[in-house]
Amino acid sequence: MSATTASPLSADVRVSPRRRITARGFRALMGMHVKLFSREPGVAIIVLVPIVLMVIFGSIPGTKKPQADLGGRSVLDVYVPTIAAMVPLMIACTALPTAMASFRERNALRRFSVSPVLPGGMLAALVAVLSSMALVGVLIVVVLGLAVFGAHAPTNLGAVISAFVLGFTAVMAVGMIAAARATSSGMATGMGTPFMILNFFFSGLYVPVAQLPHAFQTIGEFVPFGAVMDAWSGEGILWQHLAVLAGYTVFGGFLSAKLFRWE
Amino acid sequence: MPVIEVDRLHKEYRGVIAVDEVSFAVEQGEIFGILGPNGAGKTTTVECISGLRAPDGGSVRVLGLDPRADRDELHQTVGVQLQEAGLPEKLKVRETMELFASFYREPAEIAPLLRRLGLADKAEARYKKLSGGQKQRLAIALALVGNPRVVVLDELTTGLDPHARRETWGLVEQVREVGVTVLLVTHFMEEAERLCDRLALIDRGRVVAVDTPAGLAERTGGGQRMRFRPSAPLEDAELLALPEVDSLTRRDGRIELVGTSNLVQAVTSLLARRQIIADGLRIEQATLDDAFISLTDHAQEN
Repeated sequence: MSATTASPLSADVRVSPRRRITARGFRALMGMHVKLFSREPGVAIIVLVPIVLMVIFGSIPGTKKPQADLGGRSVLDVYVPTIAAMVPLMIACTALPTAMASFRERNALRRFSVSPVLPGGMLAALVAVLSSMALVGVLIVVVLGLAVFGAHAPTNLGAVISAFVLGFTAVMAVGMIAAARATSSGMATGMGTPFMILNFFFSGLYVPVAQLPHAFQTIGEFVPFGAVMDAWSGEGILWQHLAVLAGYTVFGGFLSAKLFRWE
Repeated sequence: MPVIEVDRLHKEYRGVIAVDEVSFAVEQGEIFGILGPNGAGKTTTVECISGLRAPDGGSVRVLGLDPRADRDELHQTVGVQLQEAGLPEKLKVRETMELFASFYREPAEIAPLLRRLGLADKAEARYKKLSGGQKQRLAIALALVGNPRVVVLDELTTGLDPHARRETWGLVEQVREVGVTVLLVTHFMEEAERLCDRLALIDRGRVVAVDTPAGLAERTGGGQRMRFRPSAPLEDAELLALPEVDSLTRRDGRIELVGTSNLVQAVTSLLARRQIIADGLRIEQATLDDAFISLTDHAQEN
């Protein structure tokens, strides 16, 4: 048949996908970030502090009693999402900006920009590693709280998962603004910390959200992890919380892309 | 076909001209130097060649590729060592090499490369712990890890002690021996003289001259300079009649002559014919240094 007479060479014509980054290169970059984080003493805190806090809260006998001023929930119930929220917040507000800043500080991005991996690939690998860290951290805290210490699970699991995921993208997008500009680790910490504290406050880390004045509760609905907490406890209107989180994600993403400097 | 072709390259930063009109071509397998004073536009030129910056005018081709449009392909075959490009401090030498090797289609083997660069015993050391010379050697190793056909080395030996500098020069020669074309940016005359087959002298964003180091040195007019005390009286006119002699000065019975690269030969044969002995003979070869000064000074006058 004439259709089979095509030259065998045609199979050898290199269909070069001209990918900016190979899967192998991307894995190697993620490995680099993991190694660098494991050699950074501060990073252990991000994972350990929430876990230790969870264990302490879970071990205090009185925390499992339902309380009227918490809307019938126990202290433990209230603190599981709050402590879980510490992980993405610390990752987005400190780990991300400082990691980027330390690369920028040492002009390492210049080195990457003349390799086949452009700095964007390096940033993507960083975000991938941080996202996995956040996921693992949140899961450990939540599983500890619910399965080990017996806190009550949220009723609307879909709402909670989507709120946590969007909450993470929201704070990562805002953290990326700091990551876009900071030229030293100190500057990165300085830029990220106020936003982190704000989120800690409205996620009820210092005072449970239910005990805050009404006006503060309303403000909290418009702070990323305030909105996530409401979604967890079933307060307010879910779509509004998700819209707030999506808004931060889009705004932060846009602004950081605008402001980003590689060098 | 030249490996690197730069044609009327022009680049401005906020209205300030960094590179005005730079043209040169680098042939396969040579070590081509870009020499010039600080701020002459050397680094900008290299950054345009490496695809880091888009030219405002003119064109650049490297291995037939457009450094901006074909950036990905370019970085597979062109290794670049940049000035002031750091690395993560807590990454070890071997880890850094493995990381960058993973980006290339056909990476070089890491262990032999580290051995060649004298970094084998530093493979497990963190970047932070390396000396300046070791960091530079790692930068060269990273520029070579993709098995490039062209390497661009920008201010390779700045900040190195004389010993480390010489070692690094040896490495560059080794690189060329395996057929890699080298584009070397420098402001060290000695480095350019020792390593480069040809040089482009850049000043104020323009190419002042392209030649071999010896050719450039000759261009200054003062190819050679000699001083001696003649054992018998010698007429000025006799010496000045030689086409190789450009100028003559007498001081304390000594004659100082400046002339072309054949000056010494012409004068000594004249002295031999006249059976005059040149006492206290001193000969100075015009160096690239002289060429550099005279050519870049000249550019400033215009």
